[in-house]
Order: sequence, then structure tokens, then C-alpha cells
Amino acid sequence: MALLLDIATTAALLFIVAAGLFVIFGVLKIINFAHAAWLTIGAYTTVVATEMGLSPWVSLPLAVLLGGLLGAATEAVIVRPLYRRPLDAILATWGLGVVIVQLITLGFGRDMQMPPALITGTVDVLGTPYSSYRLFLLAAAVVMGLAFVLVLERTRLGLNAQAVIMNEMLARALGINTARVRLITFMLGSAIAAVAGVLLTPLSSVDPTMGIPWLIGAFMLVMVSGTSVTALALACLCFGAAQVLVSTWVSPILGSVTVAVLCAVMLRLHPKGFARD
Amino acid sequence: MTRHGAGLAVLGALALALVLLGPLFLDRFTLNVLTRSMIYAMMAITVDLLWGYTGILTFGQSAFFGAGAYATALVLTHAGGGVQNFALALVLSVVVPMALAAMVGWLSFYHKSTPLYASVISLVVPIVLTQAIFAGGSFTGSSSGLVGYPTMKLGAGNYFRLAGVALILFAGLSWVIVRSDAGRLMVAIRDNPMRAAYLGIRTQRVQILLMTALGGIAGLSGFLYANAGRIVAPEIAGFGFGTQMIVWTALGGRATIFGPAMGAIGIDWLGAQLSGALPYLWQLVIGTLFVVMILFMPRGLAGFIPRRKRAAAPPRLAVLPDDRIRKGGGDALLSVSGLRKAYGHFVVLDGIGLEVRPGELVSVVGPNGAGKTTFLRCLSDGTEAIEGRIMLAGQDIAGRPPEAVVALGIGRKFQVASVFESMTVAECLRLARVTHERPSLWRRADSIGLPQAALDILALTGLDQKLDQPVGGISHGMRQSLELAMVVAMQPRLILLDEPTAGLTKAERTLIGEVLKRLTHDQGYAAILIEHDLDFVKEISQRIVVLHQGRLVMDGPVDEVVNSDLVRSIYSGMAHE
Repeated sequence: MALLLDIATTAALLFIVAAGLFVIFGVLKIINFAHAAWLTIGAYTTVVATEMGLSPWVSLPLAVLLGGLLGAATEAVIVRPLYRRPLDAILATWGLGVVIVQLITLGFGRDMQMPPALITGTVDVLGTPYSSYRLFLLAAAVVMGLAFVLVLERTRLGLNAQAVIMNEMLARALGINTARVRLITFMLGSAIAAVAGVLLTPLSSVDPTMGIPWLIGAFMLVMVSGTSVTALALACLCFGAAQVLVSTWVSPILGSVTVAVLCAVMLRLHPKGFARD
Repeated sequence: MTRHGAGLAVLGALALALVLLGPLFLDRFTLNVLTRSMIYAMMAITVDLLWGYTGILTFGQSAFFGAGAYATALVLTHAGGGVQNFALALVLSVVVPMALAAMVGWLSFYHKSTPLYASVISLVVPIVLTQAIFAGGSFTGSSSGLVGYPTMKLGAGNYFRLAGVALILFAGLSWVIVRSDAGRLMVAIRDNPMRAAYLGIRTQRVQILLMTALGGIAGLSGFLYANAGRIVAPEIAGFGFGTQMIVWTALGGRATIFGPAMGAIGIDWLGAQLSGALPYLWQLVIGTLFVVMILFMPRGLAGFIPRRKRAAAPPRLAVLPDDRIRKGGGDALLSVSGLRKAYGHFVVLDGIGLEVRPGELVSVVGPNGAGKTTFLRCLSDGTEAIEGRIMLAGQDIAGRPPEAVVALGIGRKFQVASVFESMTVAECLRLARVTHERPSLWRRADSIGLPQAALDILALTGLDQKLDQPVGGISHGMRQSLELAMVVAMQPRLILLDEPTAGLTKAERTLIGEVLKRLTHDQGYAAILIEHDLDFVKEISQRIVVLHQGRLVMDGPVDEVVNSDLVRSIYSGMAHE
């Protein structure tokens, strides 16, 4: 039972961490290497909020705000001039990540921070005591996934984004302001990443480089999912399960690279990954 | 030797003198730092060859460096010193990373793989390797690394000399190779991988070979590092170190060899001086500088040095003895039967059957969206998912990627001229002959042998006077003619031409028509031509095929087809009635 719950909550965690990257890659076709830095920033909003004596929950809106603002600035200054040089965009966002990590180090020092958790304690699930925080993550991931689908299918922004995903030239010709779609997408993706950072705090150590270990897994999951939310959920579930199993029965160290390796092999043998069309 | 070459030889000799004499006046700390910096500079050059020249953005060179260093340290730790163990360590430090690199190359490069995919794989490799080192426990030293193993007793001065000499040799070798004909192959793959494949170049194989060879160099650097530094830690195999190499390369100036080497030495040396005092600030400065450079100065610091104008004389053109002249007729060269191509429910081509014999010039006409370009793509890329059979020179092309179909004797000219933007006219022509004459790794041929027909095209268009001009600067018509000359230079048996005269002047059109007639009538080439201009088609071809809404509706002699009601109605826009 505990194993099943581990699998479900690990998949949820992977989904939450990959979501921001997924949004940006889906619409902009650019891998945002600053993703790790957004995660870190999110986690540090919790540190700041709790040091100011506020509830850790306050850090969620704070992260959305900060992530969105930084995302907008990044899109306008760094990413926009590089749309035609996608590999250079990777490099520039990675450089930005380095800068942010160093700034955080200058501000907060290198040490690990221990902000209080959002939720503590355990609940009984069919007789098995299980961390209530991890269950909360599961719920958060489901809400996030449903929100994605709703936004994509039911809002103007979502429809515009779909148009840009399918054929950007045509979308522009039809009068969709593609530059704005890109800007908003990047803001949203960054905000989601920062929220993911907040949600990571009780599970991961909080230090300036905490985002890096999460980065690669998130990349690979996004690569195998293309632009489909369902594919991303499926990929998180499959590879999350593999990660839990390897960690439990083989070695936790190897478990940490399971997702990346399996995704890489899958892409080589079946380049479309989980994406269907 | 050219003046440029002589200047560089002097520079090399000077550098050699510096590294040999350096230990006499440098203090021990500086010696140790610079030894490390020079080993890093070799790594920067491997990144430059992959990324700057060949367009493969790799974060994973550190993995091969780490594999070499760990192979060395593991042998020396567990088997002890002694000459035979050093020899074993040396061999393993080259062979293990090469095997790893070959595997990574196989993973990264395959038909239709994307550059982004290769970059992502290059990220995964160092991370997996680092985790493997962590998982190795006391055997690999886990997170604290290996230290205290026996090393070659050379002394700091001699390690400095060894690293310096290795760097100069490798830099010199790289410099020669990137300027050779083979080096142009790398740039061709960076500039336009599709054109390269359609010239018959096995681009993935070149990429894998390059990655494997440079994996060996990285491993050798790792061997030096493990001996000179007397410690190996998991970080040297990691993704952070791999990205640092990118920073050196980008700041120094990609695709210059010397820029990245100087970038590595400068940044590593400065870092060693400054990072003690301002540890985080230094990284911050480098990171900021890096972002600014990528945004505004993609050429790096080398961009400040004005580029030399190529002074070397362009190669001579020579005529190849053409023994391929033969009669038309005979067995079908191309035979297509039951070809059907669909994207989901959208059927582009259906029930196409066609035979083309040597010496025939078949024109394909039809309105926009009739499937003409798709038809050519299916003929030249056997990996397209189709139904039906396409036989070329008696072989089924199914499953063969473009370069393999080219090897069967096809040459394809694209609708929009597809050439190599950063090269000269002569270099483009030279590349078109690569599959016939193995390019030299160390020099540039001073003459290019071309078949008479290709020479005719060059002479008629005046391109033969512009051999040393960069392709980026010549006119649209000339680019079309250059691409045609390149395709003809490959001496294919069947030429596929997608609207070769679009956007050309009347005079240029007549000229290309003449060349095509000569190629097919006199020399036995076969050609399939997509064309909108019925007058042009009437002028040059014997046979016309009409494609309409994905079906082949007519196939016959010129007059019959042109005067048919069907063609008239299609061309006057009444086909839907």
C-alpha cells in the first residue's frame, strides 16, 4: 500500500515540477534552463515569508507574483531576441539561472534553510499511516492538471495558445497577437515553476542549488510528452513508478537518474514518446 | 606554405617555447593552475569542434573527461603504480571514453533526430555518470573522490610542459583539420544538414565518429588531469563542469579553436586568482557576461579581432573524364507502383504509378497542392511512410534515408535553393563531390574535378568567376544555378528538380533548359521536373505527367497532354466542375 502511495505521490511531484517547463516548451518550443532557478526562488519565498513571521501559505501567492514578474522580464529581455536561435536560448536561460543562483547565494548564504512545512503529520489510508503532505501534493497535481485542460479548452488564451502551438505563422496571420501569447505563457510557466518550488520545500533541502537535481528529470518528461497534458501525466506516472521501484529495491542513488535514462532510451527507440499525433 | 600558415607556425613555435621555458620563471602555484587551465583548454577545443564547427551543442564532454580521469585513478588506486599499470591506465583512459562516446553518439544521432534531442542526451550522460560514481561506494570513492593513488613522478614543471605540448599539438591538429576539405564537412552539417544528407553525406556517421574521436581526446585530458592533479572527484564528470566548457567556448568565440582555448585558460586562471577573495561574485560576473555575450556577441571575444579576408586563390576547375555518356532507353531506372501517401485521413497521393528510363526528361505538372513536392520527397527519402513500391535502379528504396537513396543514384534539387550559407561557391562544389573523392583531413585540394555538364552550368551563369565568393552574397538566380550544378556534380542517374526556374529571368530559364536538354538527350541522365510554366515544359521535355488532387491523371507525350481538355481546364481553374 505504502508503495502504491509512494508511486502516486512521486508521480504527482514530478508532474508539479515539470508543469512550468511543459507550459513554456509546449508553446514556445524553447527549453527554459532557468527553470531550476525558478524552483529555487519559489522555495526561498517560503524562507522569506516564514522569517517575516507569516504563515508558509503566504508564500504561494508570493511565488506566483515573483515568478510571473521575473518570467515577464526574462521573456522580454533574454528569450525574445533568441527565438530564431533556439540552442542559444537554452544557453542564455542557463546563464540566467547561474546568475540567479549566485544572487541567492550572496543574499542568503550557501547554507541549507529549514522553513516550516505547509502541512505536517500523517493520515491513515486504509490502515496505512501516510504523510498528509504527500497526499496534499497528489491533490495539488490533480487540480493543476485539470486546470491546464480547462484553460486550454475553455479560455481564449488557451485557444490562442493552441493556435500558436499548431502553426504560429497562421495564428499570426489570423490576427492572434502571438508575441503576447508567448509573453503570457512564459509568465505562467515561470509562476507555476515558482509554486512548484514552494511545494518542494518540505521534501527537498532548500539551498541555492536545490533546483538542479530536479531539472533533468523535468526536461526529459517534457521531451517525451510533447504538447499533451495527458501524455505528461502518463509519463510522470510510468517513470515515477520506475523511479520508486528502483529506489526501493536497487539503490536510491540510481533511482534518481531512472527517469532521465528511461526517457532518453524511449526517445531514441520511439521518438514521439507518449505524444500521440 | 601560405603567409597565414607561416605566421601560425611562428606563433606555434613561440607558444611551444613559452610552455617549455615557463617552469623556469613561474612560481609553483601559477604552474599548477596553468597546467590545469591548459588541460581545460583542450576540453574547450573539443567543445568548439562539436558545437562551434559541427553545431552539436553538448553539455556532456565532462562525462568523457571524467571517465578518462576515473579510469586512470581507478587503475592506479586498485592495481598500484608501475609502468605496466600506467600504460594500462593510459589505454583505458582513451578506450573507455571512446566507447562511451560512441554509445552516446548512437543515442543522439539518427535519421530525423533533432539538435535539441542531442543536447538533452548530452545533459543526461554526465548526470548518470556522476550518480554511478556516487553509487560505486569505496571502489570509486563515492562523493569524496579518489586521492593518494600513485602518479607519474614528473614534477610540477614537467607536468606543465606536458600539458602545454599536448595542448599545442591538439590545437594545431584541430586547426589543420577544420581548414581541410574534411573540416568543411563538419561546417556543412552545421549549416544545412538536410542538404548534406542529400549530397550523400552520411551526416549521422560523421557526427558519431567525431564524437567518438573527441571522446578519446577528452579521456586523454582526463588521464593528464588525474596524474597532474593527483585527485579525482565526481564533479569533474558532472553537468556543471560540462556547462563551464560551454562558457569558455562561448566567451572565447566559437568556431575559432584559439578563442575557446584562450577562454578556458583566461577564465580558469582569473578564477583561481579571484575566487578566493570573491567566491560568489566571480561566478556572478561570469554568468552575467555569458548571457550578455550570447545575446549580443554570438562570436565571443574573438569577434573583436577583425576577420581576415581569404587571400588564398580559389581552386581550379577541372573536367572529369565523363565515361557515363550512354544511350537512352533500356530498362526503367525508376519504377513507382501503387504509391499512396497520407497524413492521417488526409490523402496527398494515391495510386501513383510511373516509370522513368535513362535519357528521359519527365515533367510533372499540376495545380498547387496536387502533391508534386510530396511526390519528390517520397522518391528521395525511403523512410517516408508510404504504401506501394518505389524501385530505383532495381533496388527497393523502402527504409533507406536520403543519403542511402542518393547512393543509389538520385540527386535532388529543392524548390528553394538549398546551399551552404557560410561557404564559398567553390566549397559548395567541392562538397558535392565528397562521396566520389574522399576529402583530405589535412589539406584543401587545389582543383575540383567536375563533370562537363556542371562546368557548363557554371560557365553559362558566370559562377565560375565567383568561385571564391561566399554563397550568402550571390543572387537568387545564381544560388539556383549553383544548387543545380552541385546536384549535377554528384553525377546522379536520376535528377529530381523542384521548380528550378521559379523566380529566374527569361535568359536564365532558357539556359537551364538548354543544360537539362543536353544532360538528358546527350548524356543519358534521367530527370523528373516539377514545373508550372507550360511553355518551358513544352520546350524541353518529351513526356508530361499530370498530377491532380493526389492522382496521376495523365501520362503521355507533350503535345497530347498539353492540348488535352483536362490540362486546359486545370490551368484555367475549372477543374472542380
